[in-house]
Amino acid sequence: MNKSIFIVFIVSILLIVSCATDDTCTQTKYVTLTADFFHVYYNDTTQLKAIYALSDSLTVQGLRLDTLTGKYTPVDSILYNNSPQSTINLPLNNFSTHSTFKLKFKTISDTMTIYHTNLNDYLSLECGCIVLHKIDTVTITRHFIDSVRITNHDVNTINAENIRLYK
Amino acid sequence: MRRIFVYISSILLCLLFITASAQKKKNKPIVVPPDSTVWLNGFSVQADIGSLITSTLMSGDSYSSEASIQMDLKHKIFPTFELGVAGANHLSNDNIGFKTNGTFERFGVDFNLRKRKIDSKPTNNLFIAGLRIGMSHFNYNVTNVLITDDYWGGSVPLNYMNQTSSKIWYEIVVGVQVEVLKNVFMGWTIRNKNLISQDIPGVIAPWYIPGFGQNNGANWGFNYTLGYHFGPKNKFIKSKKILLNQKTTK
Repeated sequence: MNKSIFIVFIVSILLIVSCATDDTCTQTKYVTLTADFFHVYYNDTTQLKAIYALSDSLTVQGLRLDTLTGKYTPVDSILYNNSPQSTINLPLNNFSTHSTFKLKFKTISDTMTIYHTNLNDYLSLECGCIVLHKIDTVTITRHFIDSVRITNHDVNTINAENIRLYK
Repeated sequence: MRRIFVYISSILLCLLFITASAQKKKNKPIVVPPDSTVWLNGFSVQADIGSLITSTLMSGDSYSSEASIQMDLKHKIFPTFELGVAGANHLSNDNIGFKTNGTFERFGVDFNLRKRKIDSKPTNNLFIAGLRIGMSHFNYNVTNVLITDDYWGGSVPLNYMNQTSSKIWYEIVVGVQVEVLKNVFMGWTIRNKNLISQDIPGVIAPWYIPGFGQNNGANWGFNYTLGYHFGPKNKFIKSKKILLNQKTTK
């Protein structure tokens, strides 16, 4: 009896010590808007169709509005550099209610502005806080892109499609 | 005719023998097991000296201290009430601060699992198993939560002050209690703690819950107690050998 109690005691001490948790975050914290490219065409029976399409040699870069000059200046980092894409993930500005991007298809460029609201979401002490977004409206210059449609207003850590870009 | 007489007389003899043996069985003394004690065998007051050690082992930035009062009912059932204070002052890897100080209560019951042999003296060394319901209502601060934007640039620190939370949990308790001196007890318990009230998504969830530990949904706990017993203890009544037929005639 005494021996078994002693073993239980030692095992329990080891168990308690091994249960100490570390401070590493295991949750995903990347919040990006997901945009899919669709190609619009007429089929043989002259019906309008849209198919998920690859956009060749695409360059995407954020544009920051300079309040002094009133002009947009590009953000240092380029998100996509002259690469073929059918889906792009765009980070929205955590401290502004609109985010502007320059989309360059070979030689033709479009400027897309996403108007959104921001919501702070506290995850845990280990992970900290992330910012979620809700898309209000999207505007785009129609040089290469024909139109844009919002499919899901909530921008979060789940990479679900938020907008469709038709060309 | 003679044969008939022999048959009837042998049957009568048999019946007489059966009746006599039954009578003999009725008069055999039976042992009434001892219902040793009165319902209330006093109470003990205990202090947990192990929580200070486990606090150091776990992380070093949380503390806990508790005391309990335990009734002794028939030396089998032990209703228990535990009261304590606990707190944490923790800094995460990203320098997010968490601070809390609060009280907690637990109530429940322990059962003595050691079975006593008939006519043996009751022992004060117990092997116990039981259940607890724990609760805590506390305030806490979460400071220096940094919101950054890696692409567009900028960062803002956020502070969530005077957050309030109420938590309820249950504990499965197993342990040992030994009388080391007259009326002085030492013992330990291992506890498996499980939260009943979970965090609502979107709220600023506490990192630490007083009396429960880190807010992980389930925790293990260890208590090492030192206690003193007050009042009567283990009044022992020896088994009485009584004749059943005598008892019934009284």
